[in-house]
Amino acid sequence: MTQPAAIVALVAVAIVTAIIGARGLRVSRTPADFLVAARQVPPFLNASAISGEYLSAASFLGIAGLTLLEGLGALWYAVGYVAGYLVLLAAVAAPLRRFGAYTIPDFAEGRLGSPLLRRVATVMVLVISGFYLLPQLKGAGITLEVAFGGPYWIGVVVLGVVVTTGIASGGMKSITLVQAFQYWLKLTAIAVPAVALLLFFHHGSFGSVQQTVAPIFSRRTDVVFPDAETISVHRAVTVQALGNVDGASLRGALRLVHGNYTVAAGTHLSFPAGSAAPDLSSAPAPAGSAWASPLVHLNGVADHPMAATYGVLLATALGAIGLPHILVRFYTNRDGQGARRTTAVVIALLSCFYVFPALFAALGRLEAPGLYVTSQTDSVVLVLPRLVSSGIAGTLLGALVAAGAFAAFLSTSSGLLISMAGAISHDILGRGVRAFRFAAVALGVIATALGLLVAGISINLLVGWAFAIAASSFGPLLLLGIWWRRLTWVGALMGLVLGGGAASAAVVLAMAGVGQQGWPAVLLSEPAIWTVPLAFLAMVLGSLATRRSLPADVTGKLLALHLPEHLRRHRPAAASFPP
Amino acid sequence: MTASSGESDPVAAEPDRALGTGLPLTDPPVAPPSPIREVVRASPRRPPVRVPSPVSDDLFAEDDYGQTLLSSLIRAQLGVTVSVLLPAAVLLCLYPLLAVLVPSIARATVLGVPLALIVLGGGIYPPLILLGVWYVRRAERLEQRFSDLLHDE
Repeated sequence: MTQPAAIVALVAVAIVTAIIGARGLRVSRTPADFLVAARQVPPFLNASAISGEYLSAASFLGIAGLTLLEGLGALWYAVGYVAGYLVLLAAVAAPLRRFGAYTIPDFAEGRLGSPLLRRVATVMVLVISGFYLLPQLKGAGITLEVAFGGPYWIGVVVLGVVVTTGIASGGMKSITLVQAFQYWLKLTAIAVPAVALLLFFHHGSFGSVQQTVAPIFSRRTDVVFPDAETISVHRAVTVQALGNVDGASLRGALRLVHGNYTVAAGTHLSFPAGSAAPDLSSAPAPAGSAWASPLVHLNGVADHPMAATYGVLLATALGAIGLPHILVRFYTNRDGQGARRTTAVVIALLSCFYVFPALFAALGRLEAPGLYVTSQTDSVVLVLPRLVSSGIAGTLLGALVAAGAFAAFLSTSSGLLISMAGAISHDILGRGVRAFRFAAVALGVIATALGLLVAGISINLLVGWAFAIAASSFGPLLLLGIWWRRLTWVGALMGLVLGGGAASAAVVLAMAGVGQQGWPAVLLSEPAIWTVPLAFLAMVLGSLATRRSLPADVTGKLLALHLPEHLRRHRPAAASFPP
Repeated sequence: MTASSGESDPVAAEPDRALGTGLPLTDPPVAPPSPIREVVRASPRRPPVRVPSPVSDDLFAEDDYGQTLLSSLIRAQLGVTVSVLLPAAVLLCLYPLLAVLVPSIARATVLGVPLALIVLGGGIYPPLILLGVWYVRRAERLEQRFSDLLHDE
């Protein structure tokens, strides 16, 4: 079904983005402008831009979807995304800004003096950004699918073209303004519908969440099965059926008793108000008390919930500092102090945002159990407004969330594409604006093509993978590189390869379906809990074993990292920007 | 001694500087050649070279005093960092621990709303924000004290 209001909203987002981007075009001249917007960005604007870039498909759609699916424990992802910025603020922001390197590979080589380490770090940037970029494209595909009722590829291609054009033509000056605009757009787009649904359309009580065994349909609900499913019914119910159930074509009332039923794709089942939602046999909805638990239940199963919870916290809190597209943004701060103030504001902005996915998840549990039955929990933010209110209000609110979701993909993919293009043009193609543009276009085309292929892979798996790898590689590299004098390039390399490699391997195995329950499931799906310590251990032991490869002037590097700018002999390396 | 004294012109010395360090320990001519020799183009917007304050030279001197000054600065900054991150870690790790040890905490409700929704859906953020603000204030004060110390000498 086409949603004209949503389409108008999406087009408006794209146009406003293009206009703000074009304003920046005129001021983009030098490579420095392109990569870091010439450091003219004040803290509040910069904080909005960082938040805008950070809040991706995972935040806008994924958290509410995963929380609806697995329970309130999934909100630890959101908490960890914010806590990551506290780590960034207290341990990384100011020193990294003072050091004057623009990217993580710059930092790795500048701090430890090894071109080999730089190349490995560049590869890591591409891997992490790549795995973070694909789910954004997938999110766009889904959103436009909901808005247009059209094929998945439209959204992927639209996002790919808009982002690539924006970056190849405007650089980051435009992007700073675009990202800042998009933070406020995203906040509005999720806050207004959430509050409106809560105040005007929600009449139940949150307490009932905990008491019911299965989710209850609060109103007559028409469930459409996009794919063939096996559902299991716990309480007998009479539904209106249109389609094919257990091989029989039906049109009219159907009595479902306790047991399993096979439902063909495209079948409509209309459940009366107050009836219990059936379960998808393959993925039953968690019971109320399990859903309301504050622990991470992987795949909805309470196996070793504390280890899983700490795994999520570690991956998100340390992964945030290792995300390549976020770090580059800290060079748009005037100095180390500016970087700190910016980061503190980011924590507040992100905290405001993450209240609303939680609200959407709770409302979804109460109001939209049909999403469990059709395994469409990821789209809860997109469809809830129209499920709850069939009138004009629902349509408008639905259009607003679609616009916000599109902004989420747009801003995060821009940031990722910039860091990937920056890494390639910087380290492989040679310098300058033309190489950067070429890299941006080439990567945009490749990413769009890959985005078409990941329709079947979960957004959360890909995003979680990116965080776990970042937490197990760049996280320790930055923390030790900034605070530990004796880190050597050999140790850092060992940590990057062992930690990042182990995290990647674990998630590949988890995706391949190895270890569905018990410890294997926890250790493979939330690898950070062991790969982060592994990376730290490898870096420390490797460095202690290779003291001779300490960089020549460690003291100079530490001065560059920690000395406030006004105490320096020279201005910081602003002038020596590597183009 | 100023940065531009002697036969070295800091602008000319720029290309020899290791990427990202920006701060040669000694005057460029006697500094050991950096392992990375990144050729760096001067940007048209180069800011003017700053004349250093005499006392901060102590920091750049490669003697024990300079080293001591630097490591005391780093240690003090790390102290502020740890004193913010440690409470944050305790705060975050405590709730899951309690929920596992005391099941009634996992099931608790406040005015009919699950406690998990209140804490994870918003309640946990204000302490994180406050810790962040507290860190910024303390880090800025620390740096102010350090630069006062240098200029007082």
